[in-house]
Amino acid sequence: MARMKFICDTERCVACHGCVVACKEGHHIPVGINRRRVIIINEGKPGERSISISCMHCSDPPCMAVCPAGAIYQRDDGIVLVNKDICIGCGYCLMACPFGAPQFPKNSSFGARGVMDKCTFCAGGPAPTFSEKEKRLYGQNRIAEGKVPLCAGMCATKALLAGDADVISKIYAERVARRGNGLKEKIF
Amino acid sequence: MTNHFNDIRHAKLVFFIGSNAAEAHPVAMQHILYAKEVNNAPIIVVDPRFTKLAAKATDYVRIRPGTDTAFLMGLINQLIQNEWYDKEFVRTRVAGFEELKEVAAHYTPEVVEDITGVPAKEVVRIAKLMATHRPGTVVWCMGLTQHHIGSSNTRAACILQLMLGNMGVSGGGTNIFRGHDNVQGATDMCVLSHSLPGYYGLSEKAWRHWCEVWGVDYEWMKSRFHSKEYMEKPGFTLARWYEGVIQEDKIYQYTPIKAVVFWGCSSTSQSQYHKLKKALDKLELVVIIDPFPTTTAAMCEKDNVYLLPSTSQYETEGSVTSSCRQAQWRYKVVDPIYDSKTDYEILQEFVKRFGFADKFFKNIKKIPEDVTREIARGTLTIGLVGWLPERIKKHTDNWHTFDIDTLQAKGGPCDGEYYGLPWPCWTEEHPGTPILYDISKPVAKGGLPFRARFGTEYTYPSGRKENLLAAEGVANPGSEIMGGYPEFKGWKTDVRVIKEAVKRGMAPFGNARARCYCWNFPDPVPVHREPLHSPRPDLIKKYPTYPDKPNHYRVYTRFKSEQKPELVKEFPLVLITGRVVEHMGGGDETRSNKYLAELMPEVYAEINPRVANNYGLREGDMIWVESPEGGRIRVKVKITDRVDDRTIFIPYSFGGMFMGRSMAANYPDGLVPYAIGEPANIVVNYGYDIKTQIQATKEGLCRIRKA
Repeated sequence: MARMKFICDTERCVACHGCVVACKEGHHIPVGINRRRVIIINEGKPGERSISISCMHCSDPPCMAVCPAGAIYQRDDGIVLVNKDICIGCGYCLMACPFGAPQFPKNSSFGARGVMDKCTFCAGGPAPTFSEKEKRLYGQNRIAEGKVPLCAGMCATKALLAGDADVISKIYAERVARRGNGLKEKIF
Repeated sequence: MTNHFNDIRHAKLVFFIGSNAAEAHPVAMQHILYAKEVNNAPIIVVDPRFTKLAAKATDYVRIRPGTDTAFLMGLINQLIQNEWYDKEFVRTRVAGFEELKEVAAHYTPEVVEDITGVPAKEVVRIAKLMATHRPGTVVWCMGLTQHHIGSSNTRAACILQLMLGNMGVSGGGTNIFRGHDNVQGATDMCVLSHSLPGYYGLSEKAWRHWCEVWGVDYEWMKSRFHSKEYMEKPGFTLARWYEGVIQEDKIYQYTPIKAVVFWGCSSTSQSQYHKLKKALDKLELVVIIDPFPTTTAAMCEKDNVYLLPSTSQYETEGSVTSSCRQAQWRYKVVDPIYDSKTDYEILQEFVKRFGFADKFFKNIKKIPEDVTREIARGTLTIGLVGWLPERIKKHTDNWHTFDIDTLQAKGGPCDGEYYGLPWPCWTEEHPGTPILYDISKPVAKGGLPFRARFGTEYTYPSGRKENLLAAEGVANPGSEIMGGYPEFKGWKTDVRVIKEAVKRGMAPFGNARARCYCWNFPDPVPVHREPLHSPRPDLIKKYPTYPDKPNHYRVYTRFKSEQKPELVKEFPLVLITGRVVEHMGGGDETRSNKYLAELMPEVYAEINPRVANNYGLREGDMIWVESPEGGRIRVKVKITDRVDDRTIFIPYSFGGMFMGRSMAANYPDGLVPYAIGEPANIVVNYGYDIKTQIQATKEGLCRIRKA
């Protein structure tokens, strides 16, 4: 069974926000809700770095552990999802999350897209796959279509990798091994 | 671009000057970061501002705005003085070296430090870095070109690459990243005031050539103009057309301009915008053809505007040209929505009503294929002969068969050809030329020498005579003449001449040396000249600008009379402008996208913490930025180290506000963009390149005060 993960290579990320906009356009996310964000540190100074952050789909998700309603669950492939029919929007998950991933609609606590919203790894939600309800509450289900998440698919520099942890860690490891040694074909 | 984006994967060094590719060309960054990772290539970024690109650099060089030529000549001088230059390349393929050497000698590291602010040691170190990492590529954008000596800046960058022997090789070249979709195509079609399509110019010969291609009578064409003189006289440029209306500078035309058409063009990307607005309010007619009701429309406060909604690129089809001279077929995704029409249809309707549809569409039965065919038949100068619609479509349909490093197809229906048939694509069988001036390949296989455009011999003012053709033994493999040769007579107008040349293994345009000394330019060898509005009055004396230029694209253009040394006392800060990744050009399209507007909602001025504290400004305060010409804008303060303590930066993609006033009420109901703001170009100073008249947006002075 695959284990889904994101890797963001900060040597490659140029802070273009393409991932953010792809996510929002693709899932029709309301303005003000950010399933994905680009964080820039040391802006304008030597050492400036940027990284694209969303829900990291943790193996042991703290959000799931603290959810009083039991609304957060993990699929067999590691993707962490929220059931918007059960979620009460209390915000415990936001306190527990090391990345600030959970998002809450600003206009009302029970907006059109439900209570808590976060990255779905483009895997929809608990509603029937490809149903109207799934699309409305959670967005596209690209994983069921056999596609990579929108954000990684959009990334121009391939800084953001998404998919089976075994596959993307191999891509990243090869990249790191070649990095800076001046060799093209031979890794070692 | 002499090379292509993918070819940067072969570079051992990437040198950026006046480019912020991370924001303006994020997709190209994959190749640059690949060179950095895999080749261990130093990434040098020369810029007054620590940009997002600088964040990815290995070596960042902060330079005073408007001093690029001095810096580049400093590097060139180091290469020559230390004998780090490519002697064999210079001996065989370069002209005017002695003249260059003499001028470059002035730019010692100490002189360069005084002019540019770059420490003398850094000048030497960067020159050595470039000499020891070959081939390297040089990239520039508007940061290098938009100066009153922009044409000298770009030539200095080319000469730098000649000295390093980095021309005509994979991983080298001068690579100018074009800023818009299909802008190379627009340039090749010469949507300009001084040339017919294909860089033919405006001479009678050029008109006769195109009249023959179009199948119309030359005399009839002439009868459409005011006179033959005006038919052959360069027109107003995009930078200065408004003077043709308001005439604050003297114009050289029998009539003022009465109407203007903006066809997919944003007026807010033009400097002196408060004067341009005056023109908009004075014109009898303003026509805007665009998918969006643009800022231009909102700026007009006279009832003289017509909006013609055109489709986006997804609702039409045709060939487009990339920055790397490649053609690609763009297929239609959806039919035009609402009541918008394609550009072709709008043009057709105009032509019908003007009454010359029979002549206009003589060769055009099927749009757009026959348009592409006509372009191929007429554009011999840059070798578009091989750009037939069916070939372009074949490449686009089979793009997975091309190699990511070389662009060459390996097997499949396009075997051996280069993706998009990069021009010159001399014949219907030619594979395209992926790298210009590459003499390692036969001409028929995509090789090319330097063009012989300026005769075969030249006598310099010193009396030295030089053969301008390439040296003995230097030519493409298979060339009938193994050495320099002049251009073939008639190659620009007769395709048979081109075919004959290629058959004989030779370039139709000859095989010459690249010139370091261009006698047809005001400065034959590039020299530093202080910006018109300079913060260094002491240097104005040493490096003054040019005399004023009357009748410069039909308008009097001030140089010397505009260079006022005392200006800096009143306007102490240097103003530069540029892109943000979220918005495109004038921003009418991107500011109407709610997600992009959310990411970049308002215009701001980047100010160094030291300046902010000296002016008593806090993050988020509103300030007035004022130009010497009376332009002023109200913008938010962003305190950052990106700029130094003498410079402020404002992104130029905003519109919908004008000198403190909102123009939102002037948009059609419900169509105000999500993000509006002051156009930075209101405060960009007066100043234009001496040769091209490009606006000098990356130099000039301003002052700020709390609003």
